[in-house]
Amino acid sequence: MNNERLESLAKRLGSDVAARLDVAATARKVVERLREQPVRRIAWVQQTWLRIAAALVIVLGGALVASRLTPGRRPGVSTHAAHLVADDLSDLSTDELRDVLAAFDELISSDSVAVPEGSTDLHELDAQQLRAVLRSLEG
Amino acid sequence: MAQPQMVPAAHDAALIAAWQAGDEQAAAELVGRHARPLARFLAGAGAPDADVDDLVQETFIRAFRGVDRFRGQCQFRTWLLTIGGNVLKDFGRRAARRKVMPLDDGVRDMTGDPHEHAEASEAEALLAAGLQQLPRLQREVFLLRAQQGLEYEEIAAALATTPGAARVHYHHAVRRLKEIVNP
Repeated sequence: MNNERLESLAKRLGSDVAARLDVAATARKVVERLREQPVRRIAWVQQTWLRIAAALVIVLGGALVASRLTPGRRPGVSTHAAHLVADDLSDLSTDELRDVLAAFDELISSDSVAVPEGSTDLHELDAQQLRAVLRSLEG
Repeated sequence: MAQPQMVPAAHDAALIAAWQAGDEQAAAELVGRHARPLARFLAGAGAPDADVDDLVQETFIRAFRGVDRFRGQCQFRTWLLTIGGNVLKDFGRRAARRKVMPLDDGVRDMTGDPHEHAEASEAEALLAAGLQQLPRLQREVFLLRAQQGLEYEEIAAALATTPGAARVHYHHAVRRLKEIVNP
């Protein structure tokens, strides 16, 4: 078989199938499917952005948690902070409690901490009030 | 080698632009212009006869949804045929997972009218079976060249290769097919 014969055979391949194809019906179905699912590309874009946002949240959240859990990395945090983990608050003196709270001063600016009403300075709090503030910090 | 029976590319470009602007009729006209050559290509590449219509539809759907990626590097029909090749590959994978009909086994659909199958020449059937034994790239280059009548430059642009490489793939395919058809 020479090349011409091979190419001639190749040209005939699928001719019957193509001839039987109802082109008008195929075009109609394609248009209908495009009309039924027009937002697939938009949905893909939305999914991509959602994945990027989720990845960012995980990375930033992980970094935040790691920075809070890593000891000794935050300047100004005294060694008394370790007592919050190891010891009961009842074991700390008033001065030690004040030191711990001073070290966390920058952290307790958030509104989640239960500071007694009317207090503007940690030195005005007695030991019981300081313990209450620290317990609120512990969550 | 017969000259390719291409429709004017400028008309295709106008229809593509119209479709991108939301003209559904333009999409329907593009289907009308290219569905049969696409069906021949898919059938030649091993698509079961009963599935050719679905595969043609799927190819057009993918093409219209990804038409922003078509930059005129080749003719629209050539680009469409390469998408058809990908659609057929995905179809083959799904079929293999279902263990219905792996395309690469050289098994073609023999459902349908027995009379039509009887009319197919032995050489044509051998060629169809032989194509299934070729690597995908060789098979597609052979079909684009021998069946669709495209130039090597056009084939190379569509398959992101060089004309020289396309020529080599074609000649490897021809040599292998001759061995199969003329054992």
